[in-house]
Amino acid sequence: MLVGLGSCLPPRAVPNAELATSGTSDEWIRSRTGIRQRYFASTGMTTSDLAVGAGAKALKSSGQPTVDAIVLATTTPDRPCPATAPTVATRLGMTGMAAFDVSAACTGFIYGLASAAGLIATGTADRVLVIGAETYSSILNPRDRTTSVIFGDGAGAVVLRAGDTDEPGALGPFDLGSDGEGNELITVPAGGSQQRLSGVDAAPEDHYFAMAGKEVFWHAVRRMSASARAVLGRAGWQVSQVDKLVSHQANLRITNHLADELGVERARNLSNIDEVGNTAAASIPLLLDQANTRGTLNPGDRVLLTAFGGGLTWGSNVLTWPELAPA
Amino acid sequence: MNSTYDRLVNILVSRFEVDRAELAPDVTFEDLDMDSLFLVELLLVIQSELGVEISEDTVSPRDTIGRAAELIDDTVAAATAS
Repeated sequence: MLVGLGSCLPPRAVPNAELATSGTSDEWIRSRTGIRQRYFASTGMTTSDLAVGAGAKALKSSGQPTVDAIVLATTTPDRPCPATAPTVATRLGMTGMAAFDVSAACTGFIYGLASAAGLIATGTADRVLVIGAETYSSILNPRDRTTSVIFGDGAGAVVLRAGDTDEPGALGPFDLGSDGEGNELITVPAGGSQQRLSGVDAAPEDHYFAMAGKEVFWHAVRRMSASARAVLGRAGWQVSQVDKLVSHQANLRITNHLADELGVERARNLSNIDEVGNTAAASIPLLLDQANTRGTLNPGDRVLLTAFGGGLTWGSNVLTWPELAPA
Repeated sequence: MNSTYDRLVNILVSRFEVDRAELAPDVTFEDLDMDSLFLVELLLVIQSELGVEISEDTVSPRDTIGRAAELIDDTVAAATAS
């Protein structure tokens, strides 16, 4: 049951013109991705700052200040070790609660929701805070125009609690998947045990995020459409019953193509990539919060969530949108 | 020209907002400022319309629209024959 929602963006908006180089322009970026600006963290900011910001708002929205577990989806943790979730929990006044990171790149939030649903189903937690938070600006290669203009920073969070399947806000079935054969398509090569044990020093560019855009586009559309259809089948929903499609905001061309492929009208395909860029694991909760605030998501809406990311990973979920107290 | 060519033209006009007057069999995708990322999307749409698996490498930006139609027809023929 979704009972709380919140999001947090760093203060600095960065329009395309600021990032345009000899190889790109505002028009080049917009026509390929639909992005006109994104937000970047300032010096001294961390992923945990954004996570705490979003988490605090989601808790307030839920009407209770604490939860029994905190799940943080991110691939830009404050440090490789320890996980960032315990720090976020403590900063939110919840020392002692279960807290862990989920690493599934842009699919992280859906994997996080599934983990939270599992904790609730086993009675391990009654209320769970699920956060997607990223500072991809910390790993972008300024010389790589295929990634440097796409990603942005931000965080979104939801509070889930135990409830009945027919209550508003109830989460329906999940579909989760992965394909390790695609593990070279979306990477940060250095900084992990593989490179450290390789006996070879990392090249400077190995510390940057790299993505094979063409192949990822191909896989993303195919995997998300198959996963979305699988979850609709499990939920017993027809595509025509989907009121809103909320897909990972990787690229406007991908999300529009996916909507067409699934047979969802463009008007039901929610999007905010033009203003926040691709915020990886924060993408879906950030869009949910903005849409809820702006009134494009309404109580009773049947919502289909779907995401695809590095790993490769993918995941989908359905839910009926609840009435949430205004922030 | 064959119907695959016509399909490509219609998709380019409706989905990629290319001016129909700019399109001819000997025009390359590079001429239209379409890079490999746009081509991936184009192939995904054609794949959906024709109901046949088409590899993302089938067409490159330097190919002409006419050549792209031929390459796609070859793929369809191979899929139907096997």
